[in-house]
Amino acid sequence: MNISLQWLNRYLSEPVAASEAEEILTHVGFPLESSTETERGDWLMDVEVTSNRGDCLSHLGVAREIAAKTGRTLVMPSAPPPKRAGRVGEFLALANETPDACPRFTAQVIRNVKVGPSPAWIRDALEAVGQRSISNIVDVTNFVTLELGNPCHVFDLDKLDGRALRVRYARKGEPLKTLDGKQRTLVETDLVVADATRAQSLAGVIGGADSEVSASTVNVVLEMATWDPATIRRAARRLGIRTDAGYRFERGVHPATLDDAARRAGELIVQVAGGELAEGILSEGRPVPKLQIVELRPSRCAAIIGHAIPAGDIIAMLRRLDIDISQRDEDTLVCEIPAWRIDLEREIDLIEEVARIRGLDTIEVSERLPIAIRPPQATERATRELTGVLTGMGFYEAVTFTFVTPAQAAPFAGPGVGLVKVDDERRGADGTLRPSVLPGLLLCRRANRMAQVEQPGGVRLFEISATFGQDSKGESLEARRLGLLLDAPLSGKRATHDDRQTAVRMARGAVEAVVLAMAGPRARVSIEPKQTGVPAWESGASGTVWMETDKGRRAIGTLGLMSKQTLDLFELEHPVGCAELEIEPLLAAYPGGSAIEPLPAFPSIERDLSLVVAENVPWARFEALLARISKEREMALLESSRFVGVYRGEQAGKGKKSVTLRMRFRAADRTLRHEEVDPQVARVIAEAKSELNAELRA
Amino acid sequence: MLAEIESIESGALAELAAASDPDTLESWRQAYIGPKGRLKGLMPRLKDVPPADKPAVGQRLNALKSTLESAFDSRKAVLGAGAAAASGPMIDLSEPGLLRSETVARRHIITRVRDELVDVFARMGFQVADGPELEDDEHNFIKLNIPPNHPAREPIDNFYVDDPRTTTRPRMLRSQTSTVQIRTMERMIAERSGPPIKIVSPGRVYRPDTVDATHSFMFHQIEGLYIDRGVTMQDLKSTLLHFARAYFGPNADVRLRPSFFPFTEPSAEFDMKIRLRPEQPERWMELGGCGMVDPAVLQACGIDSEQWTGFAFGFGIERLAMGKYGIPDIRLLYQNDIRFLNQV
Repeated sequence: MNISLQWLNRYLSEPVAASEAEEILTHVGFPLESSTETERGDWLMDVEVTSNRGDCLSHLGVAREIAAKTGRTLVMPSAPPPKRAGRVGEFLALANETPDACPRFTAQVIRNVKVGPSPAWIRDALEAVGQRSISNIVDVTNFVTLELGNPCHVFDLDKLDGRALRVRYARKGEPLKTLDGKQRTLVETDLVVADATRAQSLAGVIGGADSEVSASTVNVVLEMATWDPATIRRAARRLGIRTDAGYRFERGVHPATLDDAARRAGELIVQVAGGELAEGILSEGRPVPKLQIVELRPSRCAAIIGHAIPAGDIIAMLRRLDIDISQRDEDTLVCEIPAWRIDLEREIDLIEEVARIRGLDTIEVSERLPIAIRPPQATERATRELTGVLTGMGFYEAVTFTFVTPAQAAPFAGPGVGLVKVDDERRGADGTLRPSVLPGLLLCRRANRMAQVEQPGGVRLFEISATFGQDSKGESLEARRLGLLLDAPLSGKRATHDDRQTAVRMARGAVEAVVLAMAGPRARVSIEPKQTGVPAWESGASGTVWMETDKGRRAIGTLGLMSKQTLDLFELEHPVGCAELEIEPLLAAYPGGSAIEPLPAFPSIERDLSLVVAENVPWARFEALLARISKEREMALLESSRFVGVYRGEQAGKGKKSVTLRMRFRAADRTLRHEEVDPQVARVIAEAKSELNAELRA
Repeated sequence: MLAEIESIESGALAELAAASDPDTLESWRQAYIGPKGRLKGLMPRLKDVPPADKPAVGQRLNALKSTLESAFDSRKAVLGAGAAAASGPMIDLSEPGLLRSETVARRHIITRVRDELVDVFARMGFQVADGPELEDDEHNFIKLNIPPNHPAREPIDNFYVDDPRTTTRPRMLRSQTSTVQIRTMERMIAERSGPPIKIVSPGRVYRPDTVDATHSFMFHQIEGLYIDRGVTMQDLKSTLLHFARAYFGPNADVRLRPSFFPFTEPSAEFDMKIRLRPEQPERWMELGGCGMVDPAVLQACGIDSEQWTGFAFGFGIERLAMGKYGIPDIRLLYQNDIRFLNQV
């Protein structure tokens, strides 16, 4: 709201300086966007007015706030008594067919005006706030709008067909040329002020050109009305018209404020343009509502603000805002709310007024806070532990957008998961809410590629974020997930099979580290190599991640390589290993407890075995075999065994691979001799031969 | 002969499903649909079928042919997806995990600042609460005392999933983390576990702002809520001051300016007088909004506003992070260029 300091000071018993006005207004809730001195020695202040305070979209309203805060007296504007002739009803017929959308419409008639330039004081005032002076009569309507916050409009009476005004909804397709010179086509939800035949203005937003006041105008109708805010906003938005009038009506104008505003505008027109004001005001609409009565308890005021404020002080403060107060008993103040304060409906609203006028800076602070100690939150600690593990492994945390394109989202939607998208006009092409964190990480990987980012060991990223989808009934499937991505190592220009296998192992390594950090040393991870049903993953190189803890076994996500199509979609040249895990079960597993066993007292013996098997024998078969026979009594010395590596090449033979594993043997009560473990090694070889068709590598 | 066709079909499809590499696939093709395949072998036998049955058997034979051919094509496409891979050795998902890293990475500055803030509030007794990002207008608006027809609900200013003009409870991305306050109050009332309620809710929020150096359509907020008997504005101001001192240093100060939010009354903006970076002087920074929880909000969540009062506050995380760490452009935060991530 543009406020001219000189204009503002018209309504104050004692003028304020620019700096003082800024200080005061900030303290009562109207901060200044800007304040600039003009060439004429005035100040133009852009005052921020919150949407509940339409009454302060006016110089008088802002002056009232300053008066209330500083104890100045508000000086109400006045004009000389106008010349009067005739009764308004003789010159104009008024009908209001839509009292729901137009609670009150008033009209006055002024005849024999002389249209011409405005007097200097009006012109200067309007120009000071950046408005153009048009003519004395039009200027009065703008002046009153900015003075009182009551938008008004004048029609040329002689151009109104039937000398009538009718408030009604527009007819479908009804034309209206508006004051900005544009031809508009109206719809049935638009509200208009019409004469006997045609729309003459778009109600509460903008006047019509046909009945515009011109140099030849002699008789005018002055409209002072109020409108349903939603109706006004809908029409203004639809037609893209922003006016001072529409802006104010959207925030609400109380019907009871119309009489004073109409009187002021009528008197001003006669003052600046001569003529005679017809007796009386035509008024159509609903009965004017009574002023609100709100009860305020000083005890409640203290309970909210934190200080007891004497009833007498409360009364004095609120009276400065023109609230009429009587004290019914010790703890009941009965407040009559002035019409322009449509925001004051409840006790709490008045308490805010007390706090505001008294000043929030007067609220004292305490040096100590009473606190109930609560235990630290496991989920917070778990998240930090988890992210610490990941950064330690070289995964950078990314924060990526929730929105992706449908093409980027679709390959990540699993069976039965429908995509969710926002309203088309907001995000355009990328309006789909991602069903997985991975598209975000892949986009981020691409961005780093485009930016030629080189990272030793490759780029690694993770993010914990919400993912979205809906089931067939439209129920939201929002879930928070951990996504992680890593570049496959490149041994040459292009990734080899070994590189891709290593990428899968590194993704698995990260997942295992995360699961152990969350669920403790007894937790285990396994990957079930089955189709995930999510096409983004490479089939045969991805599977379901299972987490096994003392509480049971559950699937928590997916791990593997992205498919070739996915890499192409995100314009990535080289393979990436990924994993996506549900975050809730991981955090819920934290802290994971312990697995304490006595540390061994005697040294162990290690034996490596390289066994050649067919290409399609996975490591899992070895694991299963070792797990099975290690339970046998004669294998009691086998403490553990682990994977060392895979070799492919001539020595292994075509379609075959050599798998090396390391076994550790130990006795709890003595140092083992080599001969003792030979039969056990032989047993493993024999079992591998019969079960896996394995040959000992030469 | 029909029975034989049935058994060939089921056997062939089972074998096909088991074929997992191009070699097996090729031998399957030769065995069934190749020039010397079983399908070809069946054709001459059609002449031995009694004339009455000929049409039916012929039809069945054709059906078998097209079934097997299309099954082969789709299986080939599936295996072909990893054509290069399929010709080589298989990926063994059961090989154990491998840890191999050449760098220690960093967490994102937004989540680090989030944690810094949560830590300070946790010491003041606030617990972190979470809620969905895909919300509905009941939690984003109605229960926050933002009635239908309120300008804040315009589709142009929000990310609706369902059309608010035609849907009774339209879904939308939350435009503020205050939704978590509503969900927490509802839950605690339902579980009879509160009030008192003392939470902070950090998280993503969405507004269709035009993106520039200081605006983004997705950003992060943190909000606090404290409801108890006898909570006052004095407690609100004190809490903010103690936060400011703990986070920004002992000389930090706080001031409140009256403002308007539908879900708090009285409402205020809060500024903090802080030194964001060591080389800068102390100055007032507009930080966020706060106020006493509007009685209508408490009542909407089933809390008796005469017995319980509360305060709420909220502010943006990005702006604070950018100020504190000297980040010139909000877009850097979401580009995740590793060179940038290494700088903060």
